Amino acid sequence: MTLALAGAGQRRPQPVWLVAAALVPVALMCLPLVYVALRSWQAGPSGIVAELLRERTLMLLLNTVALALGVTLGACLIGVAVAWCVERSDLPGRRWWRIAASLPLAMPAFVASYAWSSVHVAVQSLPGAIFVLTIVVYPLVFLPVAAALRGMDPAFEDVARSLGKGPWETFVTVVLPQAWPALGAGALLVLTHMMAEFGALSLLRVQTFTTAIFQSYELQFDSASAALQSAVLMALCLPAAWGEMRLRQRLHVARAGRGSARRLPPRPLGRMRLPALAGFALLLTLSLGVPFAMLAWWLAVGTSRGAGIADLGPAIAGSLGLALPGAVIVVALALPLAFAAVRHPGPLSRIADRLPYIVHGLPGLVVALALVFLSIRYARPLYQTAFLLFVAYAMLFLPLAQSALRASIELVPPRLEELARGLGRNPFGAFAAVTAPNIMPGVGAALALMVLEIMRELTATLMLAPIGVTTLATEVWSHGNDGQFAAAAPFAALLVLVSALPVYVFTRRSSELYDLQ
Amino acid sequence: MPHLDRRGFLKAGAWAAGSAALARPAIGGAWAAGETLTLYNGQHEKTTRALIDVFSGATGIRVNVRQGSSSQLANQLIEEGDASPADVFYSEESPPLVALANRSMLATLDDDTLKQVPPIYAAKDRTWVCASLRSRVVAYNKAMVSEGEFPASVLGFAAEAWKDRVAYVPTSGALLEQIMAIELLDGRDAALEWLKGLKAHGRLYPTNGAAMKAVEDGEIATALINNYYWFSIAQEVGDANMKSALFYYGHKDPGALISATAAGVLKSSRKQDLARRFVAFMVSEGGQQAIVDSMAEYPVRPGIESTFALKPFDELDPPAIGPADIGDAADALVLIREAGLA
Repeated sequence: MTLALAGAGQRRPQPVWLVAAALVPVALMCLPLVYVALRSWQAGPSGIVAELLRERTLMLLLNTVALALGVTLGACLIGVAVAWCVERSDLPGRRWWRIAASLPLAMPAFVASYAWSSVHVAVQSLPGAIFVLTIVVYPLVFLPVAAALRGMDPAFEDVARSLGKGPWETFVTVVLPQAWPALGAGALLVLTHMMAEFGALSLLRVQTFTTAIFQSYELQFDSASAALQSAVLMALCLPAAWGEMRLRQRLHVARAGRGSARRLPPRPLGRMRLPALAGFALLLTLSLGVPFAMLAWWLAVGTSRGAGIADLGPAIAGSLGLALPGAVIVVALALPLAFAAVRHPGPLSRIADRLPYIVHGLPGLVVALALVFLSIRYARPLYQTAFLLFVAYAMLFLPLAQSALRASIELVPPRLEELARGLGRNPFGAFAAVTAPNIMPGVGAALALMVLEIMRELTATLMLAPIGVTTLATEVWSHGNDGQFAAAAPFAALLVLVSALPVYVFTRRSSELYDLQ
Repeated sequence: MPHLDRRGFLKAGAWAAGSAALARPAIGGAWAAGETLTLYNGQHEKTTRALIDVFSGATGIRVNVRQGSSSQLANQLIEEGDASPADVFYSEESPPLVALANRSMLATLDDDTLKQVPPIYAAKDRTWVCASLRSRVVAYNKAMVSEGEFPASVLGFAAEAWKDRVAYVPTSGALLEQIMAIELLDGRDAALEWLKGLKAHGRLYPTNGAAMKAVEDGEIATALINNYYWFSIAQEVGDANMKSALFYYGHKDPGALISATAAGVLKSSRKQDLARRFVAFMVSEGGQQAIVDSMAEYPVRPGIESTFALKPFDELDPPAIGPADIGDAADALVLIREAGLA
């Protein structure tokens, strides 16, 4: 009975436990919204209009949009090209390149920007910022697209080729449309990432809403203009989140069964083989080689070399002590959201699923300010405890965890859960016994990604961390601020090296996930 | 069977993660025990660490530091109000302390402490005391520009002739103080014109350190900053290797303004005695020596020698404007917004 009903309708009532569990992250996500609204309102209606109509607001708007679109476009081009080469071509050593190409994810944007800003002054500009950020964030597109290319049913391409379409035409009309959801999800992450980016842009001297929010706040804490700038920033994320949602909805219908596990033979690169190899080498040199060379150079010339080396231990402990439990908490919060969105699609779960993406466009500073403001007034004992910091991490990184989880939940046939229900399990029991064990690769990928993101988080950590807790990222920042570049170098290098591990795990988990298909 | 294993794995993982999450705040709590002070520090971390090392070594009192920019921390203190965990606030500039004093958030300091420094460097209402002094300067790249080309006053940099050749930092507290000095000396219109000129012709940098580095690296000819940023880089690469130098305006020009770091005790602190001891130490001989040894700043207490090759304080010839005249620099904020810089 249950089976038949479910099979026919696809609309099942949401279990109570799921609604309750999904409400927690939704409520958390509303906190910064409330804060921004309250603070903006302080300016009064005329103040709001006056602030929004300033010449400066227009300048910030143009810069923010140009940067976000430029980096997203660049990351999509590089991400898709790299993904195609490692998954579909006969690029020599492509198994190795697959891992190597994901490593720039371990390079925090502010470290890369720091290095690049001293390479040449021309990099300190909008085009320069687009360049530097593109080469460090493209893995956010590359990884999901590579996974999608691997999981694709080759039959479509066979049909296209048999109809006389050329390789390029086949790619554009057949392969790319199938990769849209992965590409869309990656692009949305890059876009919202760029809206919230601060450290790199500050170093590359590009003014966007986020740097303006920092500046306003630097000058005045209860700044209504900072709040209004945050509101505009979130408004900018709305169309992106909506567009990606549409893309996903339409593709749910278009997706044909993923029955066959047959693989396409890799397409020979022919004359393009050498240029492709050179391109890969260049990409990695630009994104990893240059920053590491700069760190080495600082170590070689700086007299502050070795200063603060005793702080390495506490900083590593601080980074891991925040990142490991933080990752578990964020993934636990993301799970019900992703599960509800996949299993119980409907307007409510869709909004709950999208809300974090909008908040994702907010800089860590605004999230931290909201938590300072709210906890001092309504939850004093929590102020300046690690708990509050975990809440901030959840607000900042939930969408990344959701994306990583969603793919693996989609792979578990609902029938399995229904079977467990039919055998007398309650809804939560069915989830725990059947669904949870089957989505482990997704959970592993999400955890690794969270560890990575939390370790490099700077602004919220600086403001909310318990007093005396330092992390690798905060140490890089404070030594760099004092001009002690050589002292900062080991912390920066270690941050990149430690980050490489979660990147590796994330890449492996993600590929395992799609190999199951 | 493998199914059971996986479930067992899940359970174990959940337990481990849960206990790790719970353990973290507990560790944080344990650290706070014992005789400790909480310092909100806007001064450069290096200097404050040096100061604390000497202080803790002598007294056994632990000092926990929250690091941030001065105005940021002042604003955080205002937001925290009575709930603030801070005992002492050490600011890189005087205006943030004046802002707290204006809100009656600072306790009065001991007369003994205030007497250690010249009267101009202590608050009239006894709520804060200056800890060190620095001079506004023009840092310039020796290969790109020579001193002879500089305008007669720092006001002259906000001109077409200096298009893309002067770096400025609108979020710098010291720049806010300089704006106040211009307003006091030459009037509001002059200050606003200056800012508009900088916006039109100068190049904006996010921090003073970045502006100084840009001059040293030959990215830009000059930067309007404080004297010690040059010494920080010189300490890192060696004086002889420096490609930049400092120009001191003197002749009571706003370009020669002296600004001060300052500290005060929070009224809400439950450790008033300890907090006062720390501030007293800052202006003592030992404290002053620790400060000037770690950073190229001028001591606020007479008779202390810096280890850096500073231009002698007597030769700076700054305008007669002290921290009390600058106040909380709220006017400068209005001007910065009016000029479209924030």
